[in-house]
Amino acid sequence: MRQDTSKYQYNQLETYKELLELKHIKTKTLIVNIINVIFGIIVVYFLYKLDLETNKIMSVMFMFVMLVGMNILLYSFEKDLYNNLKFAMYLNTLGEYIIAITLILMFRTPSIFTALFLAYAITAIYQDYKVMITSNSALFLSGFLLAIGYSEIFAIPGITVIQNIFIVVFLFIFVLLLTLSSYILIKRKSFFYNHLAQSKESEIRNLDLQSEVALMNEHTKIDASKYYDSLNEFSKHLSKKIGIDNVFARKIQLLKDLEFHTVLEMVEKYPDYTTEEINQLRMMELAVNDKMRNLGLKASITQDIKVTRKEIFSESQFKSFKHYSDDRYVKIISTVVFYCLLKIDKPYLKKLSEEQIRDYFFNSEYFYLIDRDIIEIYLKNDEVFDTIVNDILKGSWNYEKTS
Amino acid sequence: MKKLLDRIRNSEFLTFSEVLRLKVAIVTLFVTILVILTIPLSTFNDYTSDINILVPIGFGVLVFMTILFTVINFNRLAMHLSIITIVLITVFLTSGGNHFYGYMMLFVTLTVIIFYQDISTYLLYGGGITAYGVYYIFDKGVSIVGVNTINTDISLYTYLVILVGFYTVFLIQFLISDNIYEKMNNDWVRMNKVLGKYQEITFQNLSEIIENNGQDPIYKNVKFQQTVAELCVFVNEFFEDHAENIAEVVEFYFFLHDQDIESVVKSSELPLKTRKFASQLQKYVLNSRSELVSILFEFSNLVKVNEGFTSNRYEYNLDKLFDDKIDKLLSLSILYKFLRTEETQFDKWGSVKRILNHKEITELFVSKEFREFITYEQVNFYLDNEDLFEEHLK
Repeated sequence: MRQDTSKYQYNQLETYKELLELKHIKTKTLIVNIINVIFGIIVVYFLYKLDLETNKIMSVMFMFVMLVGMNILLYSFEKDLYNNLKFAMYLNTLGEYIIAITLILMFRTPSIFTALFLAYAITAIYQDYKVMITSNSALFLSGFLLAIGYSEIFAIPGITVIQNIFIVVFLFIFVLLLTLSSYILIKRKSFFYNHLAQSKESEIRNLDLQSEVALMNEHTKIDASKYYDSLNEFSKHLSKKIGIDNVFARKIQLLKDLEFHTVLEMVEKYPDYTTEEINQLRMMELAVNDKMRNLGLKASITQDIKVTRKEIFSESQFKSFKHYSDDRYVKIISTVVFYCLLKIDKPYLKKLSEEQIRDYFFNSEYFYLIDRDIIEIYLKNDEVFDTIVNDILKGSWNYEKTS
Repeated sequence: MKKLLDRIRNSEFLTFSEVLRLKVAIVTLFVTILVILTIPLSTFNDYTSDINILVPIGFGVLVFMTILFTVINFNRLAMHLSIITIVLITVFLTSGGNHFYGYMMLFVTLTVIIFYQDISTYLLYGGGITAYGVYYIFDKGVSIVGVNTINTDISLYTYLVILVGFYTVFLIQFLISDNIYEKMNNDWVRMNKVLGKYQEITFQNLSEIIENNGQDPIYKNVKFQQTVAELCVFVNEFFEDHAENIAEVVEFYFFLHDQDIESVVKSSELPLKTRKFASQLQKYVLNSRSELVSILFEFSNLVKVNEGFTSNRYEYNLDKLFDDKIDKLLSLSILYKFLRTEETQFDKWGSVKRILNHKEITELFVSKEFREFITYEQVNFYLDNEDLFEEHLK
């Protein structure tokens, strides 16, 4: 069966990752364009020093101007900026190679041939899968075709034809290494985007879990009416103190009504408020919505959170059952304990069936939290695991007593 | 090979040292190919046959040492050795003859250094090889100028600009990546700590629920211990003949739940092996908010359904959440009231039963960390009307 590790992933991640990425694409687009301008000036200067015809100089200059101009245009469209900048990215990738190949065919010297490497370097700044594929293919194919079809480019006094083969071999090694390098780098980049987005979503879910378990432990739910009464009292005194009418009272009443009415009903009841304003106020409502509760819980633990530089790239930040320095016994025990805990009822999570556990282990990132050999043993012998648990553990732990 | 490809495909899930190990393995493979290539290329060199034989053998020894360092987990050392090997190959190929492929080796070497994605390594070795490249262009550049060249000087400067440009552009890429990833990593580590705090509170409440119900925790349940032991022995059978040896470690694991693990780890009277297991198993105990407990909580979060994404789902700053001034003020009052009346802090008995007092909230509001939630203007407003907050929002 084909593995799909994205099957069990928070569905809110993609949009947030896009927001995270947009910030970085903006910076990268700016840098790529600055580099293009610098190299554009250098190229035009070299062409001028070579006493080339004006129309040739102008045509190369035109290509640079077009490329930078298109980028400025795409950057200036605020609407759907993410996709505009993505388009600018692909445009730049193709543009860099078109300029490089044009220059190579114009001069046909080995020195200008290396402009392909520079085109690659500039596009590598983007660290994007599609750019990587386009750039690597363009580098190898153009390099290969030029070496085969235009061997005069490499014509150096004393060089024999056979050495062109080595140029292709070096080019192949060069492109392969760059592909692997970009691939791993982009994977790591996705990992950070993914983990950061995941931790943001995880925060909301942990706050929900914390509140759910706290209620089980006889903590009381937020008493919204008490909050609104206090707000009324506070705003009355505040208005008096600063010498204005009590402008807060109607808002507080609106908050109270939000518990019982939909947004549409609220817009009808309060025609001077727009849907957008009502939606914004919903975040402040306390009886049904959790935003202010979560905000309060997050704010309550904000002190004592300090991050040292040593911790930033520490491996201890990665929680797993396969720490590199751990003994194999420890890897087995931790995995087995985790598995057994999934097989029993807990206050916050009901026991899972063997099929569910297998599916989660195989089709989620948990596959990578467990030692490869151990997870493979489990996947091949999950029925034995289930039998052992059923034979010994079944019925010995009844969380039902406590729920 | 299949294992290597699998690891590349799933490299985002590997730890930093595992990624480094993987990179060393890939580079070693490429360096081996290049070492083999030096044998036919030696025929184009101006060296004597002794050198042409001995140098590839020397490179072979370096590759062998790189593999050895990787096997014994000296990954960083292996990385340096692999770079040194390829630098030496480049010097060998560029010094012995004047061929264009020799010049291309400078780019291949830079690529290998780039591959490791380590800025100090790039500055050191990358800077070194670029400087060598510049020297090479000035020293032997004329001999690799093509027959179509119109102006030799421009051709040399083209070589120079492209080599230095290649190095500089990748340096810029490094600086951007480093900056972005360090910030993202910093945010992620901070979030991990925040999540840890929530989970500590959840764990404490769970422990109290079990205790209040007069139940024993799961790790004291004999059937649970027996199941874990049986499964561990079963799994271990795939690794060694004396599979039952692990049962002793399982017993020790459950025994540790009644011990102060820190003292076990530090105790000089206990055998080193025992202390080592105590230290490693500490991460997976069930009587504290351990790594295993955190993973379990995260797993339960994954299973549950939650609301979809909205633009301010992960926003906690009142100033950004609300546009209207009155809304900002009311939300600030709700936040104060929440902190003042809800049990959010650990008390001296370790229960989450304590609330923050006015002084503590004021300290919190004025702290730098709290700018994540409220602005300076809101703090000033709060400080101006502190008495009203204290009196009417308790």
